[in-house]
Amino acid sequence: MAIIERPRELAPASFVSPKQAAGSFHRPVQTKGWKSWFFTIDHKKLGIMYGVAAMFFFLVGGTEALLIRIQLAQPNGKFVNAQLYNELFTTHGTTMVFLFVMPMAAAFANYFVPLQIGARDVAFPRMNAFGFWCFLSGGIFLYLSPLLGGLPDGGWFAYAPNTGPIFSPSHGMDFWALALQITGIASLTGSINLIVTILNMRAPGMKMMMMPVFTWMILVVQFLLVFAIPVITVALFLLTFQRRFGATFFDVKAGADPLLWQHLFWLFGHPEVYILILPSFGIVSEVLPVFAKKPLFGYKFVVFSGAAIGFMGWGVWAHHMFASGLGPISVMVFSLTTMFIAVPTGVKIINWVGTLWGGTLRFTTAMMFAIGLIVEFTIGGLSGVTHAVSPSDTQQTDTYYIIAHFHYVLFGGAVFGLFAGFYYWWPKVFGRMLDEKLGKINFWLMVIGTNFTFGPMHIVGLQGQPRRMYTYKAGYGFGPWNLVETIGSFIIALAVGTFLWNVVKTNGITGKKPRTAPLDPWDARTYEWMTTSPPKEHNFDSIPVVSHLDEFFHRKYAEDANGNMVKVATGEEILADQIAHADKHIHMPSPSYWPLVLAVSLPIIALGVIFSTYLAVVGGAICVMAAYGWAIEPSTADESDFENPAGPSTEVTVHV
Amino acid sequence: MSDVLDTVTDSGHDAHADHGHADVEHGAHGSSGLSNNKLAMWLFLGSDCLLFGGLISTYMLYRGRVQRGPNPNELYNIPFTSVSSFVLLMSSLTMVLAVTAAGRNDDRRMRIWLCTTAFLGSLFVGAQVFEFRSFYLKGLGFTTNLFGSSFFTLTGFHGVHVTLGVIMLLSIVGMTLRGKIPGRKAEVVELIGLYWHFVDIVWIVIFTLVYLIPS
Amino acid sequence: MLGGFALTLTGCAGNAPQDTWKPSGKYARSIDNLQEPIFVAAGVVGLVVFAAVVYCIVKFRERPGHDSIPHQSHGNPKVEISLTALSAAILLTVAVPTVNTLFEISNRPKDTALEVTVIGQQWWWEFQYKTPGMEGIVTATELVIPVGKKVRLSVTSRDVIHSFWIPKLNGKRDAVPNRVQPLNMEATTPGIYEGQCTEYCGLSHANMRQRVVALSDADFATWVANQLKPAAKPAKVKDATTGELVDTPQSGGEAAFIANCARCHQVNGLVDDKGDPQNSKADEQLVSGAAPNLTHLMSRSVFAGGMFDLSLPSAACSPKTAKYTAEHPTGTPDGCLNRADLEAWLRNAPAVKPMYSIQNKDKLYRGMPNLNLSEADIDKLVAYLTTLK
Repeated sequence: MAIIERPRELAPASFVSPKQAAGSFHRPVQTKGWKSWFFTIDHKKLGIMYGVAAMFFFLVGGTEALLIRIQLAQPNGKFVNAQLYNELFTTHGTTMVFLFVMPMAAAFANYFVPLQIGARDVAFPRMNAFGFWCFLSGGIFLYLSPLLGGLPDGGWFAYAPNTGPIFSPSHGMDFWALALQITGIASLTGSINLIVTILNMRAPGMKMMMMPVFTWMILVVQFLLVFAIPVITVALFLLTFQRRFGATFFDVKAGADPLLWQHLFWLFGHPEVYILILPSFGIVSEVLPVFAKKPLFGYKFVVFSGAAIGFMGWGVWAHHMFASGLGPISVMVFSLTTMFIAVPTGVKIINWVGTLWGGTLRFTTAMMFAIGLIVEFTIGGLSGVTHAVSPSDTQQTDTYYIIAHFHYVLFGGAVFGLFAGFYYWWPKVFGRMLDEKLGKINFWLMVIGTNFTFGPMHIVGLQGQPRRMYTYKAGYGFGPWNLVETIGSFIIALAVGTFLWNVVKTNGITGKKPRTAPLDPWDARTYEWMTTSPPKEHNFDSIPVVSHLDEFFHRKYAEDANGNMVKVATGEEILADQIAHADKHIHMPSPSYWPLVLAVSLPIIALGVIFSTYLAVVGGAICVMAAYGWAIEPSTADESDFENPAGPSTEVTVHV
Repeated sequence: MSDVLDTVTDSGHDAHADHGHADVEHGAHGSSGLSNNKLAMWLFLGSDCLLFGGLISTYMLYRGRVQRGPNPNELYNIPFTSVSSFVLLMSSLTMVLAVTAAGRNDDRRMRIWLCTTAFLGSLFVGAQVFEFRSFYLKGLGFTTNLFGSSFFTLTGFHGVHVTLGVIMLLSIVGMTLRGKIPGRKAEVVELIGLYWHFVDIVWIVIFTLVYLIPS
Repeated sequence: MLGGFALTLTGCAGNAPQDTWKPSGKYARSIDNLQEPIFVAAGVVGLVVFAAVVYCIVKFRERPGHDSIPHQSHGNPKVEISLTALSAAILLTVAVPTVNTLFEISNRPKDTALEVTVIGQQWWWEFQYKTPGMEGIVTATELVIPVGKKVRLSVTSRDVIHSFWIPKLNGKRDAVPNRVQPLNMEATTPGIYEGQCTEYCGLSHANMRQRVVALSDADFATWVANQLKPAAKPAKVKDATTGELVDTPQSGGEAAFIANCARCHQVNGLVDDKGDPQNSKADEQLVSGAAPNLTHLMSRSVFAGGMFDLSLPSAACSPKTAKYTAEHPTGTPDGCLNRADLEAWLRNAPAVKPMYSIQNKDKLYRGMPNLNLSEADIDKLVAYLTTLK
C-alpha cells in the first residue's frame, strides 16, 4: 500500500474521538524512506538495524584493538601514551561486550525468534523498537565522552576504588556508567519481550521441546539477562551516586569495602559471559544439522545443558576473584562449581561432534565457521578448566593467558558463531546469496588471524606478561610473540574486510546485479525457512501447524517403504500451500514515534546528570511526555492516519 | 526508572501481533497460561527483586560502618515508621478492592479505591520525606558515611517505586474518566495491582531488615 | 594440545624472569606440580576432540553423486550419558588435588621465619618488616628475604587495588585497601625474583614492579644489620683558608633533600642543621599518603617503582644477581650507579614515568611531581643519595 501521511486538518473539538485525541500527531505509517526505518516496530527491520549498528561498533572496537596491538608490537612501544592506552582497552572491552556481541545476538534473536516459532512479531513491538533505540543512544552516548571530557579509563570491569572520583577524575567513567545503564534498559526490555514472545506466541502445535535450539538458547539468555541486568544496574547506580553526588559506597577513607563492587560486577559479569556465548551456541546448533543433513545429536541434552548453564552460571561468579582474597573456603567452593559448569559445556561439544558423526557434510562457509567454533571454543573451554584450578589460576589471572582464554571463547566462540549466522541466514534476511568463495577466504583468514593473535597469548601469559599494560620491557621473552599477535590482529582485520567486501559485492552496492537467493538454498530444517526470503511484513500468510522438531524438514522429507528418507515436497510447494490458505485478516501493529522519543530522552537525562540539572529536567520532561504519549496511543494506527482508509470490505487488511 | 513506566504503560495494547485471527482479544492467554502483559509484569518484578536484592545487600554490608555522623540506633523512630508501614500495607488492601471492582466493571468503586490507594501511597511517601528530613537535621546526610549513603539509596529507591505507582494509579483514574484507557481496563488495573503488592512486600523486607534488626 | 604446545614453547624460552612454569619456591612448586598434569590432561582432551572433528570432516564429507539423506538419528542417550559422566569424572579427579593444593598454599606455615607487611600504592610497593628484631625496616620495591625460610606476607593497599605477584615464588594476591590479606612465600635458591603489579591500578600500572631478593642466612643477617642503622649525617668540611665549616656536595645535597624531598620521603635519622628531626608528612602531599623510604636507597637495585635500574647493567656491576646484593649489602658502589636515569628522574619525574603530577582539588598529588630542580641541586642530591647506603 502506498501510504503517505495525510495533510493535517484541525478537526472541531467536538469531533475528536478518543483515538484521534490520543496524539495530535499522525502515525508514521510510511513503508518507504527513512521514516519507515526510524519509526518501525517490525521485528525484522529492528533486527537489521541492530545488526548494522552492532557491526559499526564491531569496527570501532576492532580499530581500538588494532591500536592496542600496534602499541604492544614491540617492547617499550611509543605509539600511544599510557592514558590513551588505558582508555583504549577500556572502550575496546566495553564496546565489544555491550555494543557488539550483545546487540548482534539481539539482532539475530529479534529477527529469527518470531520466525522460528511462527509468530508475526514479538509480544511488544513498540517496546522492541524502544530497546533498539536505547542500545543505540547508549552506544552513541558512550562515544560522546571524548568530546565532553575524556574517554573512560577504568577498564571495562571498572574496579572500585580506581574508578572513583579521586582516581578517575575525568568525566569518562560517568559516561561509561550511564551508557551501560541505558543499554541495560535496552537489554531488560528486550529480554522480557522475547521471553513473553517465546512462551506465549508459538505456532499451534509447537511444544517447548519442538522449538529450534537457537530459540531455546535465546530463551535461556533472556532469563539470564532479566536477572543479571538489575545487579549491574545497582552497581552502576552506586558508582554514579558516588561520582556525581558524593556518596561513599567505594570511598576507602569512609571504610568502604572495594570487594562489594567486584561481587556485584561479577554476579552480573559471569552470567554475562553466557549471555555472550549461548546465542552463538544456538546458531551453530542450527547450522550443523542443516549441513550434516541430520538432526542435532541429543537435542534434549543440548537444551537441558543450556538451561543448566543458565542456572549454574549464577554460582560461579567469584572465580573471577580467586586472587582478591576471599579466603580458601570460598575459593574452594567456587573452584568446584566452576569445574562442574564445564560439564554441561562439554556436553555441547560432544553433541556437536555427534551431529557431524554419520552425517553428509557440506562445507559451506556457514558450516566451516560452525566447525571452526567447535575447535576454537574447545581450546578456550579447556583453558577455562585450568582457571577453575584455583591455585593455578592465581598464577594465570590478570595475565595474557586469561586474554587468550576469553578471546578463544568470545572470538573463536561467539564471533565465529555470529559469522556462521551471517552466512547461513543472509539469503533469508536479504533474499540474496553471499559469495561462497569470498566466504571461504573470510573463514580461513579468520582462523589464521585468530590463532596468530590469541594463540601466542597463552605463551606470554604463562611467561608472566600481565594484561592492561601500556608497555613492557625487553628481556622477558614477550617481544617476539607480541609481534606475532599484532600481525595476527591485522589478519583478522583483513578477514572482517573480506566479509564487508562480500556484502558490498553481492548486494548490488557496486552496481553488479545481485544474485537472488533460492527459497531454500541450504535444504534447511526449521520453521523460519517456510516463508519468503525476505519474509513479508507479517512473516507468514498463514501459520503452519507444527508437529515435529525440524518441522520444515519433515514436510520436505518422509520415509519410504524401505525406511529411507526421500523428498516428498519442495520448499516452493510448501510455501504455495501456505499462501493458498492465507489468513483473511492480519492486523499488524502500526509504527510509532514514541519509542524513539523515549529512548532519546535517556541520554539527555544522563548528560544532565553529568553536566546540568536543567538538562536533566528537560530530558525528564521529554521522557514523561513520551511515556504518556505511548501509554495512550493505540497499537494500531487510526484509519485516518492512512491516505486511503481501508474500508471494512477490504479482504486482507494488512497495515504495513 | 522509565522502564517501570514503560512496561506498565505498554501493557494495554501491544499484545496482539496476533496469530492471524483478527478477533484475538487484547492480552490473550498464550501457551504459558498467562497473558502477555501479566507475564511481562511478573518478569519485570522478578528482575526488580534482584535490584532490591543488590541494594539491600549493600545496606546490610554497610549499615554498621559509621566513621562519623549518627548511627542507625540513634536515628530510627520505630513507632513512626511502623505507622507509615501500616499505611502502606493498608493500601495493598484497597488495591485488592480496586482490582475486584474493576473485575466487576464497577467503574465508580474502582476509581474510589484506586484514589484511596494512591492517597495511602502518597501518605507513605510523605512520611518518608519527613523521616529523611528529620535524619538530615540530626546530621545524617547522603554523603555523611556509608550507612547514610546506603540507607538513603535503598529507601529512596523504594520511595521512587511507590511514587511511580501513585502516578500510575492516578493516570489510570484519569484515563478511565476520559475513556481513553487502551486495552482491557480490568487487566491494566490488575497489572498495577501486581506492581503495588510487590512494592509493599519489598517494604516489609526492608522494614524488617533495616529498621527492626538491630545493627 | 595447546597446553602441550605452550609447555614446549615456554620450556624453550631462555630468558623469562617471570615464567610461571619455572618455580623456585615451595608454593610456586606446589602450584606447578598441580597445573602441569592438568595442562597435559587438557591437551589430551583437546586432541581427542580435534581428532574426532577431523575424522568427521574426512569420513563424512559429501561425496559427488552420493546425496542421499543420512540416517536421521536424534542421538544416543547411552553415548551421551557415558561421555557426560566421563567428563564429570575427569573433573572430579582434577578437583581433589586442587582442593589439597589450595589449602597447602593458603594455610599459615607453623615455622614462619619472617613477617612482612606489603603495601601497594600508585605506583610502587612498600615493605614493612614486622618480625621482632627487624621492626623499623622499611623498604620499597625490593623485598629481601632469607632463602629456604617461610615468609608470611600481609598484603594491603593505601589507595586502589593492586596485586602482589612473584611468579616464581607463588601466585598473586590482591592488595585491597581496608583489607589485609595473607600470602606465603619461600625461595629455595638465592636469587632475584621479579614480578609486576597485576591488578590494573591506573595510569602507570605498567611501571609498577616488584622483586624479591633471596639471600643466604648470613647475607641476610648482614643486610638486616645494615638496614637497622639510621642514615649518617654527611659531615661538612673545614675550609682551609677561612676555617669555617662549608658544605661538601653530600652535605649540600642533604640540605637540598630537606628543602625539596623530605616532606614526602622519609630518611630515618635525618636532622637539619639545628638538629631538628625531619620526618615526612607525605599524607599532606599525596593521595596515598606515602612515598618510598629512602634511608637505604643505595642498598636496592632498582628505583622509581622498579621502572629503572639503580645500577648500571655492566659486567662489573651485574645487578641482576642476588650475589650482587649479597656482596654489596650496604649499597651500590659509586662506579656502578645509573646516574643518567637517576638524574632524569630528579629533573622531571612525571616525564619519565606517567603520573598524575597535578594537584587535585584536595591539593594532593598522585606520584612524584616535577620539582623544577636546578642542575646544581640535582648534582648535590645525587651526591647525597649515594650516601644512603
